[in-house]
Amino acid sequence: MKGAGTVGAIIRWARRRSPWVLHFNSGGCNGCDIEIVDTLTPRFDVERLGILKESSPRHADILLCTGPVTRQSRARLRRIYEQIPAPKWVVAVGGCSCSGGIFRGGYNVLGGIDQVLPVDIYIPGCPSRPEAIIEGILQLLETIE
Amino acid sequence: MRDVASAVLTILVFPGFGFLFVCALAFHWIDRRVTARFQGRVGPPWFQPFADFVKLLAKEDVLPVGAHERACALLPMVSLAAVLTAALHIPVGGYVVTSFEGDLIVVLFLLSLPALAYFLAGWLSASVFSVVGGSRALLQYFAYEVPFLMALAGPAILVGSWSVSRISGAQSGGLWTLLVQPIGFVLAFIGLIGKLKRSPFDIPKAKSEIGAGPLTEFSGRKLALWHLSLQVKTVVGIFLLVDVFLGGSGGGISLSGVTLFGVKCLLVLLALSVTGVLYARLRIDQLATMGWRVLAPLALVQLLVVVLVGG
Repeated sequence: MKGAGTVGAIIRWARRRSPWVLHFNSGGCNGCDIEIVDTLTPRFDVERLGILKESSPRHADILLCTGPVTRQSRARLRRIYEQIPAPKWVVAVGGCSCSGGIFRGGYNVLGGIDQVLPVDIYIPGCPSRPEAIIEGILQLLETIE
Repeated sequence: MRDVASAVLTILVFPGFGFLFVCALAFHWIDRRVTARFQGRVGPPWFQPFADFVKLLAKEDVLPVGAHERACALLPMVSLAAVLTAALHIPVGGYVVTSFEGDLIVVLFLLSLPALAYFLAGWLSASVFSVVGGSRALLQYFAYEVPFLMALAGPAILVGSWSVSRISGAQSGGLWTLLVQPIGFVLAFIGLIGKLKRSPFDIPKAKSEIGAGPLTEFSGRKLALWHLSLQVKTVVGIFLLVDVFLGGSGGGISLSGVTLFGVKCLLVLLALSVTGVLYARLRIDQLATMGWRVLAPLALVQLLVVVLVGG
């Protein structure tokens, strides 16, 4: 969906300024989820950057993943990713979703999100701070073409 | 030839699509900004609604298996066309495209078409969330529509005309309908909130309960048109309220009249935003009870007062 000329530039501009996120926990300890909820509070006011949390995958642009991928949640994670209309991006929030973290090697754990989905940006931390999550999304937006 | 050109200009630029598009985005931005300020935030920048709209237009358009594709493509357009057509009969700053006896009823009919389209969209898009949202939307429609219609019938009976521009013009003496029928105004305001599915009556699209309601499965262009049609509906609803209850532009077309009209519209928008911030969402049964036990009898009382005292 790469546009040329002025129209392409306007679409690119719009995509950078209107990232709607969807949040999915595929088996984490809930720590990063609390931090994502914290990111969405008035204290950080991510709406000034155009970030809105959507409740349907069909409306979202960015999938915010937390936690490692367990065998049980793999199919659902894939399905939710497939429900998001293109263009879409995946952000791995927290150490577990980057690499599996302390759950890595567990009998029921596949590892990080990148075992199942193409991850665009990794945000480390246990849990990641809200500032780090915002910084990560902003860095992702800079790479949008 | 000139007639055709001016008609095209009227429909596409002022007060047709172009003007309403800009108004819709501006009103939406003001609404989000005011809400943000009330929550102690900064809020989105001025271009945010436009960026959202363009981004959605450029996104992939998918529907789940089992959804009625042609109907799902048609419904947002029907909804948008209905509200845009309704705007042609409502005076904006004293200027009205076409006005005839009975256009208030046409406007009310056109403004309730999106509710039906919204319900059908939920019903036909093959998702449990959207079906629940759609049936809630229909139930909500039955709760707010009757008091809303009765509240708007009050001014029409008082003036003796069912034309929006005539009702608006009859108040040019300075005596607003609001001062004569305060209950009617409050009921129409509450009805408008229900019509626009704004908080506290955002029951059909309750985020924490049923996803995004009837629009759960919509994406890309269709979602952009749905959002636009709701935003335009907000603008048209506010115009209607200002014309019928707040004296419109105060008679005739003048710079001061247009400014006055704009200020009144912004005040109504501010009232809508503040109401949305202040009150939490009701349950659908609470709204239905309120609509039939409180709002409808009050509207009846208002109508009786108008007929007995005013007529």
